[in-house]
Amino acid sequence: MALLELKSEVTGSVWKIVTAAGQKLEPGETVMILESMKMEIPVIAEDGGKLVEIRVTEGTSVAEGQVLAVVQE
Amino acid sequence: MSRIAEQESGQAARRDRLEADYAAREARALAMGGPERLARRKAAGVLNARERIARLFDEGSFIESGLFSTSLAPEDRDRSPSDGKITGFGRIDGRDAAMVANDFTVMGASSGGTNGRKIAHTKRVATQRGMPLVFLGESSGARMPDHMGSRGMGLLLGNDGAQYQRMREIPWVSATLGLSYGSSSWYAVMSDFNVMRKGAVLAVSSSLLASLAVKEEVDPEALGGWRLHAEVTGFADLVVDSDEEAIDAIKRFLDYLPGHHNEAPPVRPVPAGSGEGMRDILDLLPASRTQVYDVRKIVRTLVDTDSFFELKARFGKVGVTGLARLAGRTVGIVANNPLVKGGALDVEACEKITSFIVLCDSFNIPIVMLVDTPGFVIGTEAERKRAPGKIMNFMNALALTTVPKLSVVLRKSYGQAYLNMGGGRNSDEVAAWPTAEISFMDPGFAVKVVHGLDPGTDGFDERLAAMDKASSVWDIASVYAVQSVIRPQDTRDYLVRMLDVHQLRPTRGVGQHLMRAWPTSY
Repeated sequence: MALLELKSEVTGSVWKIVTAAGQKLEPGETVMILESMKMEIPVIAEDGGKLVEIRVTEGTSVAEGQVLAVVQE
Repeated sequence: MSRIAEQESGQAARRDRLEADYAAREARALAMGGPERLARRKAAGVLNARERIARLFDEGSFIESGLFSTSLAPEDRDRSPSDGKITGFGRIDGRDAAMVANDFTVMGASSGGTNGRKIAHTKRVATQRGMPLVFLGESSGARMPDHMGSRGMGLLLGNDGAQYQRMREIPWVSATLGLSYGSSSWYAVMSDFNVMRKGAVLAVSSSLLASLAVKEEVDPEALGGWRLHAEVTGFADLVVDSDEEAIDAIKRFLDYLPGHHNEAPPVRPVPAGSGEGMRDILDLLPASRTQVYDVRKIVRTLVDTDSFFELKARFGKVGVTGLARLAGRTVGIVANNPLVKGGALDVEACEKITSFIVLCDSFNIPIVMLVDTPGFVIGTEAERKRAPGKIMNFMNALALTTVPKLSVVLRKSYGQAYLNMGGGRNSDEVAAWPTAEISFMDPGFAVKVVHGLDPGTDGFDERLAAMDKASSVWDIASVYAVQSVIRPQDTRDYLVRMLDVHQLRPTRGVGQHLMRAWPTSY
């Protein structure tokens, strides 16, 4: 099964991680919430799958395009 | 035997001979690339070209043009039924349409002399007689060795100067249903709608040729798979799992459009339950301005039940585009989606919205804009992606639009994005919810830009207070730059009524199509 990288679409910081590695994700499920431009922006696993790895922690600054987590389809 | 009986017997024998010859030729043509190739497709769960045609057109309505055509090359005549591209006309839900279906089982549906003439004829008839043109794409590119050498090039290429001309007189729709190189790719990206089946590949040329050219193995999915075109290029308006779903999507798309540019889109009955969720629509908008939401829930609540047909859902996701109906009439929806990037418009969203505006204006579809954006994404990456050009293409498209355009501000509308999303005279009517806030930029950023002060530093708070002039909707409504402040629950009724007011009565719903020759991608 293919591994998909979930990348940050914005520059900001990780506000809250709401999932854990190993967890099954429903399509459209929120993996974590970033804070950017004074807004809470969810990182979504569009197709669902299994959350293999989370590469950031709460409070981490992230750049646009940075890999935040890896999902197995 | 009498003379009359002899004559009748001779005529009957002649009819029988003709019929037998016709039936044999017809059977050979309908056999396509032969039972083995067809069986392999069936085993793979993929429809063949004639099964696709049967799915596309109303039963019994298909009339073929060129059933007995074959390759120009004498040595290929017996193995090239329909020359690999089946063409003709039929009815889709009762309306006429023209079609080119690639038959990959015949010489890989490669482009040849005869099938080039078939496509040209089909396009010409569709354009002159005013009906949509459907491409069922799956082709290997130019036929070899026919195109090789200067004589091959001279005979087979460039003899139709309008071959790749797009003037949007009629809708073009495409399905990418397999390996698609050369002409199938060209027609896919020139179409108003392209649906892609998972497993299909859309590229300039094959992964084999690409591997030879760059001297490394190229993966077909990476070269032109569905994910690339849904998420990166935007060449796939929709992705589906099967041929059947792809063809059904074509039919659905066409159901929103007129048959040609000089007529208004069809009007359909209003489904039961439409507008039922309006009472609670405000609940879909978070009370806190720091929280985001999926604007598509608001769109679905506003429009006729199950009528929202989203296009390019995975590309430029900050901008939502799709066809829908309001009280049975087709509208084009353009919305900011705060769920992605807080609604800040990026270059991909600009490209997507621009091409959608061109589609709507070219086919007489009124545009409804739902606004909640803090502005455009800025920064070095945006500039490298040519953001100013993309923003102005979008703006120019809106300015050249001649179909009715209505704008509703749900929450934020800032700066240049205020104009791009129809603010001021860039819409025929601007309405706003009482939750709307409109200004040039976030006041905190304005203090930094003008005074160079950060939050917490001396004098910041005073200057913030001066900068933070009322951005509520009531002030802009008082100067009539927002014409109507509406209760959220009245939005559907407002839009239906305003679309009625702004009908293009003098031209029976037909716009001026000033962007008919604009590119199909940017």
